[in-house]
Order: sequence, then structure tokens, then C-alpha cells
Amino acid sequence: VQPPEKPLQPEEWDRLRENFQLPDIFEEAMLKRMIKCNSHIDVAKSLLTHVAKRNGDIAYNVLIKYLTLCVQQGQVSEIRDVYDIMKVRFKILEIGACNLLIKGLSNSDQWRMALTILEEAKKIMIPSRTSYESCIKAASRHQEMKLAFELYKEMLAKNVVPTLDVLQSFFDFSRGMKGAELQEELFGILLYLRENQLYPHKTFMRSIKLWFESIPGGNWRGHLTNIKDSGQCPVCNHQLEDSDLTEEEYNNLSERIKRDVIHGTDTFRKTSPQELEAFQTFMENRLPFDIVIDGLNVSHIKPRRMQCENLLDAINCLAKENVRLLVLGRKHMLSNSSHWKREIMNEMQNKADFFFAENISEDDPFLLYAALRSGKHCKFVTRDFLRDHKACLSDSVTRHLFRKWQRGHQIVLNPMFFCVFSQQPAFRYDCVVQTTGDTWHIPYKDVFEEKYSYEVPRKWLCIQQK
Amino acid sequence: MQSANMLLRKIVRSSVLPYAAQHGMKKDLFPLSRTLSLSLFLKQDNSCKPSEKLDLDAWKKVMKSGLQEEVSETVSEPQELSGLAAARATLEMWRLAGRLVPENVSEEQLKMFMDCPSKSAKKKYLKFLYLKELYKKNDKRKMEEKRERKLEAQEQTSKTEETRKSPFVCLWASTMDKAYSWRAAQSMIFGQPLVFDMSFEKEMSVREVANTVKQLVLSESCNRRSVDPFHIHFCNFKDDSLYHREFLKYYREAWGKLLITVTDQCYTEVFPKDKLIYLTADSPKVMQTFDHDKIYIVGSMVDKNIKTGVSLARAKRLGLETAALPLEKYLLWNTGAKNLTLDQMMHILLTLKDTADWKKALEFVPKRKFCGFVSKPVSELKKTLDLMNTLKLGKRQQEVQKEFAKNYSKK
Repeated sequence: VQPPEKPLQPEEWDRLRENFQLPDIFEEAMLKRMIKCNSHIDVAKSLLTHVAKRNGDIAYNVLIKYLTLCVQQGQVSEIRDVYDIMKVRFKILEIGACNLLIKGLSNSDQWRMALTILEEAKKIMIPSRTSYESCIKAASRHQEMKLAFELYKEMLAKNVVPTLDVLQSFFDFSRGMKGAELQEELFGILLYLRENQLYPHKTFMRSIKLWFESIPGGNWRGHLTNIKDSGQCPVCNHQLEDSDLTEEEYNNLSERIKRDVIHGTDTFRKTSPQELEAFQTFMENRLPFDIVIDGLNVSHIKPRRMQCENLLDAINCLAKENVRLLVLGRKHMLSNSSHWKREIMNEMQNKADFFFAENISEDDPFLLYAALRSGKHCKFVTRDFLRDHKACLSDSVTRHLFRKWQRGHQIVLNPMFFCVFSQQPAFRYDCVVQTTGDTWHIPYKDVFEEKYSYEVPRKWLCIQQK
Repeated sequence: MQSANMLLRKIVRSSVLPYAAQHGMKKDLFPLSRTLSLSLFLKQDNSCKPSEKLDLDAWKKVMKSGLQEEVSETVSEPQELSGLAAARATLEMWRLAGRLVPENVSEEQLKMFMDCPSKSAKKKYLKFLYLKELYKKNDKRKMEEKRERKLEAQEQTSKTEETRKSPFVCLWASTMDKAYSWRAAQSMIFGQPLVFDMSFEKEMSVREVANTVKQLVLSESCNRRSVDPFHIHFCNFKDDSLYHREFLKYYREAWGKLLITVTDQCYTEVFPKDKLIYLTADSPKVMQTFDHDKIYIVGSMVDKNIKTGVSLARAKRLGLETAALPLEKYLLWNTGAKNLTLDQMMHILLTLKDTADWKKALEFVPKRKFCGFVSKPVSELKKTLDLMNTLKLGKRQQEVQKEFAKNYSKK
């Protein structure tokens, strides 16, 4: 159905309704189309008038659709009227209506009403993050930064994750404003980005830069830059934080890997207690290793070649003087098959230590354990993103630690160059928002939506105070 | 002339006459030269000043005025609602808003709803209740229709025919029951045991346990109806467990009379270890043939969020042999997990036992999960498969390289 261009008389609506296949949902369907076509509000009004005259009442779902249309077009007085009607007509407001009303009113000079509705919504349920977003934006648009931050904190306390948009709006609206307290709050947002390993996108980064540069008497200057592999900022020559975990974090992570990833609910799911014990004694006798290799993963790197040759190449590429290698594999590698030649296996075993797990055991948990047990200098080699093992960790703090450790310690072999393996080095610096007080370094994403969680941005915003 | 024209027009527009009278006709609205036309478009044209004819805000008055009495009633009682009542009111509003909310919600369900930890959990639970209600209603309607049809048919037959004579008394259901029970009783003495491992209660949610029990009930009934039933064992069965309570819901007093063995012992205590084979989709070994001397174990578990390796871990712990159905070997797998429901397992095992025909047995795998049966000899198929794999891998290698270049080479 195509909604009419102009308001219709009740008789004309009747006629349209009769021609409609499902007369029962005619009003709703028609309003839906109007929302889609963004029809003039008078048309919708004439439909409502028609319904009211015929039934003496308007159904709630029709009313909600009308409200949606009003919100879409920012018809504030209409929204207020509908709100008044709803308040008298129904005992309780429903969360969907609340969200709509908040969205509609927060963009107008009636924005304080949106706040009262937000209060009401809290009684029913936790308001959606877009509702919070609208209210926070409305408050900060009217320079009520304190109120905005209160709402923001309330949001965090309720575990509602703020959108990057909200965070950006704080920087946009505080531009040029004075006040040590405000500055602290905004630094707090930057630290929130740090703690949750979030990266601002380009426009957000620009807002941050502009805000810093607009602080009266702050003398902040921002530059866009790329960080060198050594971790030094080319603009201010500041050395970024390294990717090492602290002693406590490190121990915490090893404990959790052992508990959640290897043991989990049942040790038999990934290995068996006997095997685990055998592995542990094996490890204790030969510690420490410098590089741990996921043998089966590496052996599949070039599918056209024999698997043991792939592995041999990788070992030759990584073996340098005094580097102790550990290769993890499964028992079937020893069976002298077409892919695993005994001579080559023997040759490799002279160059590196091997541990063979049962064929039905998982080798990745052993890889993680071995790398962590060997100490902070130990790196590991696999192309696997280890997402499933990260998912076994039960809380987000440990998961972030895992990601950080992974970034700093995983080496990825690159099979691009035909014969020689080149390696992607582990990051030496930590890719998070960081500060030293008079400098800030903020990594940012070039595109709005970065697709992969394992990718870290290469571009940085360097801000320094002069 | 002019007045005649007026009159005609009035007649034509008689449908809107009351309105026109109310607001007064405007003479200069109609140019003299225009001829009469009854089309809708002209009419729309004419009423192009709707605000004069149409009171667009009339609906608001209606909405507000119709309420006065109601309001005066509601105002007297306190507006603040507490706990359950508020939840009920919210549900009512959602229902009005057209969300999937059941019509009738019991106190218990309301409490469950309020205990849901998140918004999406609440939504899911409501949808579940809504669909349940819908199915129930539909079933009821169908039952009634059927009853009516039956009554009609009876009336017709009673008119036309006298009672037909037959050498047997019509007692199909109970006679069949007796025959089935006889067979099941025989299987309890001579039949091949089939074990259901009932030790997964901790791994499942309440709804999953309910689903498991439903599947077990189905398997038990199809076993009873088969030519040569298994002797079913429920091992590791704890009295008064969730399983038990769910079973009582289905069987009621018949639970005590079922011709199966229920024990709280482990299967390793009941049977010799070397005869046991644990059937699990995660097993690295593939079942070649059905062995009539072995005792197969099936884990009574529904895992909606695929918990890999739970039953395999159990078999590993006890040092039992494991096996998986040769689904890959006989079927061109399409989508879906390789774990099958318990009643499907039962059908497959029964067919295997009777016929040893894999093709027949694997007919019970849901059709959506596979494209067809493997028809060519395996060696030939393997060749094409290898070819396909090398092609695929060749392609994949390029993809991997591309991705790699994208991700890591921009330093």
C-alpha cells in the first residue's frame, strides 16, 4: 500500500480499508508505510481521527506507530500530546514507548522531560543504551556536563556499555570549556578506553585532538603519527609502554590458563591427568624454552609440501645459536606416514625438543602452558588466533590480559616468500591508550568499523604538553 | 444555473453532507465551468483544504474524553505498583504493543520472567511462552474440529449402516499393548542391552533436561514397538533427580511398570568393561558394523550450546571404547551438528540390529542435515574428494596469503 499524499476524509479511509486484504491490521500497516515513506504528519493524524471516530478508541500499537512517526520528524508538541494521552490512558509506560519518547524529546528544548521519562523507565527495566545516549547528549548539548557525567557513570554502574558516539560527544561538547574537574572526567573516559582496549575511530580521534588543543592554557599539541617497531614515538621520542605483563598479571594469567583452559570442567575433555602430569615433568626437566612451536599448525602452512618439510623449514628458520625450541605435536607424527618421514623427524628431534600428545588430546592448551611456564621471554609460534581458548577464560579482565600477552608473544610465520620463512615479530610495545601525565598516546582506527578483533591499529595520535 | 449547479453538487457530495453543513460550504470553491464528475480524484482535489473540513486533532479529544470516567476510577487507587503486579502490567503493555507475549501468564511464569538475568533472556522466555500458548490453542482448535467431524460421520453412518459383523472384537489398542509388553518382557531376559548414561544433569539447563526426557520417552516407545526390542538400561540414575521428576510428568504411575532397567549404578559396574562401547559424535573411531555382542552406551544429553567432548571425556575417564556413527562415510553432509537426538539414535540402532543395512538405518538422520547418500564406490569418491581438496586448498592458500599481506605487511 502506498500512503496518500494528503489527509483523507473518514469515508475515504473507509474505502481504502475495505480494499485492503487484512482490514484488521490496516491502520498499523498503513502507519508502518507512512514511517517508511516519511509521510506528512497530517496524513497520519487524519487516519487517527478516522479510527477514533469509528472505534471511539485508538489501539496502543497504532499509537506507538504514530509516536514513531512523530519522533522521526521531531514533532515535539505532538510527542508531548501523545505522552499526555498515554499517561492518562495507561497505568504504566512500556520500555519501547519510553525509548521513543526519550529519543524524541531529548532533541528539543523539552529535553528535561526526557530525563524524567528516563527516571520512569528505570523503574521498569534497565533503559537501553540509546536512551542513555540521547539523555547524555541532550545534557551536554545544554552545557550541563555534570549531569551528563552522572548519567554516564550510572550507565557504567548498570553494565550498560556506552557507544563510542557518547564518548565522542563528551569531547565535542567540552571543547574550550575550563575546569580541572571536567578535565579529570574526560581523562577518565580515555582511561576507560585503555582498560577496555577500545580504539577510537578517526572522527572520534579528531574530537579528542581538538579538545586537547582547545583546553585554555593547556598548551597541548596533537600530531598524527606511526609508531616505530622499537616502540618509539617519532614525534616526541617517547618510548611506549612495553607489552610485558607485570609479575602479578603474569602469574594470574598462567594460573587461569591452567585452571580454565586445561582443566576446565573436566580434565578429560582436553587431555587426561596422566598426560598432563607427563607433560609437566617433561617441562620441569627441560626448562626454560625460548620458542614454543605448534607443530601441526606450522606443518600445514604450505599445503602442497610434505607436512614434515614445512615443520623442518620452520625449525631451521627459528633455530639460531642458543635458542631452545620446543615443538608440540601428536603421536601420529611418529608413525612414518606419507606426510611424516622418519628420517626428517629424527633430524628435527636433534634440533629441538619434542612433546607428542595423544591423538585425541588438544595440543593448544599445552602450547599456552609451555610458553607461560618458560617465562616472560618465551614466544610461541602458531597461526591460530586461539579464540576458543580465550573464550574459556571466564572474566573479561583475564581475557584482556590474554590478548595483551598474545600480542606480545605470538610469532606468526609468513609463508609468502617461497622457500624462506619470514616471521612476523611479536609487538614490543603495548597497543593501548597510554599517558605519562604530560603526554598521551592514543591508537586509532583508520576506518570506522574494523572487522577483526585481533587487528590492532597502526596509527597513533601523539599529544604532548609544551 | 448557479443554484442548480449547487444543488447537484450537494447531492453528489451527500456522503460528506453532514460535514459540509457543519463547516459551511464555500461558494467560490467550485469554478463554474467545471462539469460534474464522480471520480475520487476530483473529490480529493476539492477537499484540498483539509484543516477546514477535517479536525486533525479530533482523535486527541476522543482519546481524552473517553477516559474521564476511567481516570476518576483509577486515580483513587495508588499508582505505584509493586513487583509482580508491575511485571504483569508491563507484559500487558508489551502485548498491546504487538510484541510476542502470551495472553495468560501464571504466577510461577511471572516469577521466572522476573528472574531472567538480561533483557534478551526475558524476551526469549516470553517468546517461548507465547509460542507454547499458540501451539496449545491450535491443538485445541484442531481437536474440536476433529471431534465435530467425527460426530458428523457417526451420525451419517448410524443412519446408513447397521453394525458390521466381524469375527474379532475390536480391541486393537490394548491387544497391541499386551503384545508389545510381551516382547519387551522377553527382551528384558534375552535382549541385547542398550545403556542410556544419565549422568549429565549438571551439564544441562532445566529446559535441556526436559527435552532429554522427552526424547527418551520417544525412544522408549519406539523400542517397545519394534520387532526385537533392546533391553534398555538407565544407568547412573539418581532417584528424585531432575530426570526422575521429568519422567514422572510423562509416565505418572506407569513409570513403575515400564519394562526397562533403571539403576543408580554405573554401566561399568553392571557390565564387563571390554563389552562396552560409548557412542559419541566426538569419537575418533568410526563404527564399522553393528556388533550384537557389545553393549552400546548413549549419553542422555541435549546440548544446545554444543559442549564438545563432554561424553568423550566420560568414556576416556572410564577407559571405555568409543565409536561414532559413520555419517561421513555414507552421507554427503550438508549442515547441522553431527550429534543426533536420542530417538533418532534409537531408530538407527534398532534398524541396524534388524537389518545391518547402513543406508536404511541412516534414513533416520534428519533430511535437512544431508544432501544425499554416497552412491559411488568409496575409492572413486576419494579421488574426486582429493582433487576437490587440492583445488580448494590451492585457492585457500592464495586467500590466506592475501589476508596475510593485508594484515601484516603494512608496517
